Amino acid sequence: MKTPIEINSNCAVAEAEAGSQNKQKPMSRRGFLVSAAGGLSLAFALPEVSKIAELQASTAVPGVVNTWLKIGTDESVTLTVGASEMGQGSLSALAQILAEELMVDYAKVLTVQAHPSLASPAPVGVSINTVGSSVTRTNFWKMRDAGAAAREMLVSAAMNANGDTTRANYTVSKGVVRHSSGTSWTYGSLADAASALPVPAGAPLVPDAQFQIIGKTQTRFDIPSKTDGSAVYGMDIRLPGMVYAIIKHGPTFGSTVATLPAAPSGMQVVPTRVVAGVGRGTEVTGAINAVAVVGSNTWDTWQAAKSLRVSWNTPASAANLNDAQFLADGKALLTGGTPFAAGAANGPGTVFTVEGSASAAATAMGASAKTIDAEYFLPYVAHATMEVLNCTVSYVPGVSCTIWAPTQSGKGVLSLAMQITGMAESQITVHTTYLGGGLGRKAEQDFVSQAIQVAMAVGKPVKLMWPRDEDFTRDQYRPLAVVHAKAGIDSSGNITGWTYRNVSPSILGQRGLSLPATGDSQGSEGSQNLPYNIGARLTEWVWHPSQIPVGFWRSVGASINTFCVENLIDELAAAANQDPYQFRRAKLTDPRWIAVLDAAANLGGWSTPPSAGRFRGIAIGTAFNSIVAQVVEISNVTSTGLRVNKVSLAIDCYLPVNPGQIEAQMQGGIVHGLNAALYGQQTFSGGTAKARNFNQSRMIRPNEMPQISVSIIPGPASASRTANLGGAGELGVPTFAPALANAFFKATGKRQRSLPFFPGSTMGGL
Amino acid sequence: MSTLTLNINGKDYQVNVSNPSMPLLWVIRDLVGLTGTKYGCGIEVCGACTVLIDGQREHSCVFDASSAVGKKVVTIEGLSPDRSHPAQQAWIARQVPQCGFCQSGMLMSVAGAMNAGHHGSEIMSEVHNLCVCGTYQRIKEAAQSL
Repeated sequence: MKTPIEINSNCAVAEAEAGSQNKQKPMSRRGFLVSAAGGLSLAFALPEVSKIAELQASTAVPGVVNTWLKIGTDESVTLTVGASEMGQGSLSALAQILAEELMVDYAKVLTVQAHPSLASPAPVGVSINTVGSSVTRTNFWKMRDAGAAAREMLVSAAMNANGDTTRANYTVSKGVVRHSSGTSWTYGSLADAASALPVPAGAPLVPDAQFQIIGKTQTRFDIPSKTDGSAVYGMDIRLPGMVYAIIKHGPTFGSTVATLPAAPSGMQVVPTRVVAGVGRGTEVTGAINAVAVVGSNTWDTWQAAKSLRVSWNTPASAANLNDAQFLADGKALLTGGTPFAAGAANGPGTVFTVEGSASAAATAMGASAKTIDAEYFLPYVAHATMEVLNCTVSYVPGVSCTIWAPTQSGKGVLSLAMQITGMAESQITVHTTYLGGGLGRKAEQDFVSQAIQVAMAVGKPVKLMWPRDEDFTRDQYRPLAVVHAKAGIDSSGNITGWTYRNVSPSILGQRGLSLPATGDSQGSEGSQNLPYNIGARLTEWVWHPSQIPVGFWRSVGASINTFCVENLIDELAAAANQDPYQFRRAKLTDPRWIAVLDAAANLGGWSTPPSAGRFRGIAIGTAFNSIVAQVVEISNVTSTGLRVNKVSLAIDCYLPVNPGQIEAQMQGGIVHGLNAALYGQQTFSGGTAKARNFNQSRMIRPNEMPQISVSIIPGPASASRTANLGGAGELGVPTFAPALANAFFKATGKRQRSLPFFPGSTMGGL
Repeated sequence: MSTLTLNINGKDYQVNVSNPSMPLLWVIRDLVGLTGTKYGCGIEVCGACTVLIDGQREHSCVFDASSAVGKKVVTIEGLSPDRSHPAQQAWIARQVPQCGFCQSGMLMSVAGAMNAGHHGSEIMSEVHNLCVCGTYQRIKEAAQSL
């Protein structure tokens, strides 16, 4: 049963802010932030609202509610969302879902960004973590139920006004309730009366066949502001009297300040400490691992930070933070390791069993006609979002702390601010700005913690920025992985047995979480519950001891394991002398998987040979409840590069809410996967990361873009009532690299078992 | 400290800089207060900072502010008063931006290529800006109509 909708008293705050905002001319009707002369104030770009009836969208799961809805007497419909907008478009998708059930025009729904809250049970409007391709899929039913409940309350208000008790006499369209006699009421005229009514449970939902908005491509509300410079990112916050802070970390991971240098003329130098819960790897809580130089503008401050001579203590352990050591440690753990034991520490070096058993897999493997035995290597990869890490804080001692952050975790920012300042939640306001890319990195709090510390130290509003080299060298990288996989086939090409061991650092372990017997879910995703009939198996994940900080990265584990699994499957197909597509198809049983594989193969023209000089590879995989297959077509393979000409992708994410945005996310995900597969790596020597800017970490430019075709396989909404929808944001990534490697095999006869394809690739200037 | 007069989007701004070689990017963002122009790399590799100077594409992250004196600087805010530049319209119609952070520079590069007389697919032979979201396919489709 869903929780009833309640009136939300918190809305008064938003209303007050909206009131102060109305004096300004909004740059975008639905903008989040509007700049004001002499600084910037946060406000919701609401239309003039005299009185607002508030209806609160709620959910079956306390603590994860993140949206709320207001219907104004002025006919406005306002949806407040706690999730972050980083280009994935899911805030617009939520408005779309709501509009369908509320029966208003999509363009009518004003979407605004919520302030996070820690209240329990969580009031509507708190921020969730915007990770795991989750916003649309986990809010789909909440939005529908909320929209339907609100619509029925408005209809009830009309019925009361009419002295009628027969619901069948009323229809609703575009925010107007009509009686069969022709009498009609707008939502605005009913909003006050509706707000006094009880919230119905189980309000009827619009049947799939009658969808007019869900499942149809809709425009995103944030796009116009992203074509004229008016969209406000974290980097764009300006406050009266604001100063600028540039962060400077020590030369190696683990280094700490020995002696603070004198401040450059007219500037300040503020030491920043590792805050509890925020440090990773070698970082010790309380240690001063960076300094911030504070000045009156970015450039002068940055120049001063560059020339600042800080005396650092570097731990001896930094010498072991290098690529050769990581590889050696990983290889050693391909066979060694300590088995997980209940009650034991189970730290680095522990072998976790994800699924299956060693004995059954070994027996099955013994019955093979052929076996393939392969080792894979994937490097650390940086996020390198277009917008570097930054955060702006205004701190008034004993009074307030206001934070503007491009964050994927507004609620985490709030908790952190309470921890650092000792202030009550009521004294802290967190504004989630637009994110110039998130990719998982902006779910972290290191940069936020530094901005809060600096603001507390200098007594002025501060915008703290990580220059690009800090962003590259102090990332929390996609984990490296050393993988050993072995599989056998019988004389008919059936897979007899399968063993798979992934050795990689633990994202969850570095966050202090106790790992279950199956290990770090972030390390094993994409390697378990494989869709194929693969016989007896043993899937293991081993905690690699490297202390380089690791973190969530668009599709993380799925991007690592899908590369290895689908590479090996392709190798088995070749060993069986079978077509890679047909080999896979014969081993699939779930019709959803088969349909996705078929769709990608058809789109990629698999049944006809590619033109001369072109080579194709195929791969399929799952993440976040969706299934994706890709056919990648390449040419011009040399020792230093190759050309990706075409990518044909099929996705089943259950019901596709906004097909145009799913297509956009597939295109973007493919490019992300492509950049990582061909060039992406961060390497280390003596505890220092080598790639410091885009010129040392190549990514493709427009003229290198392959032609991408996307096929979306729609499913019924009802199929996802309990399972939720599938995600889209990260789904383009995992299957790209293996499909590329499989095409590369066709072209060269060589199996590419390590990434990137072209290590050390650099990028010239424009 | 020296005072520079810069003409940006048709308006003169007087700014005080400690060093006249402060890149135009930071003058525009921090001193003038126009934040549409973005910092991406600081070494003219990504193009997020692209502006037009006397109609030509320049990377403001490495362009000395003093060198812009006496010239006409156009930023994304000045590309049109109302998103009516054909490139802006094409970008909205094709729903190009994802995170959008690179798109100011991308649009200014496209506008510069158009100023130089390029049309349609020629434009994207001229524009090499980096987009980490990977919006290139829609960018090319949008530019095709220009």
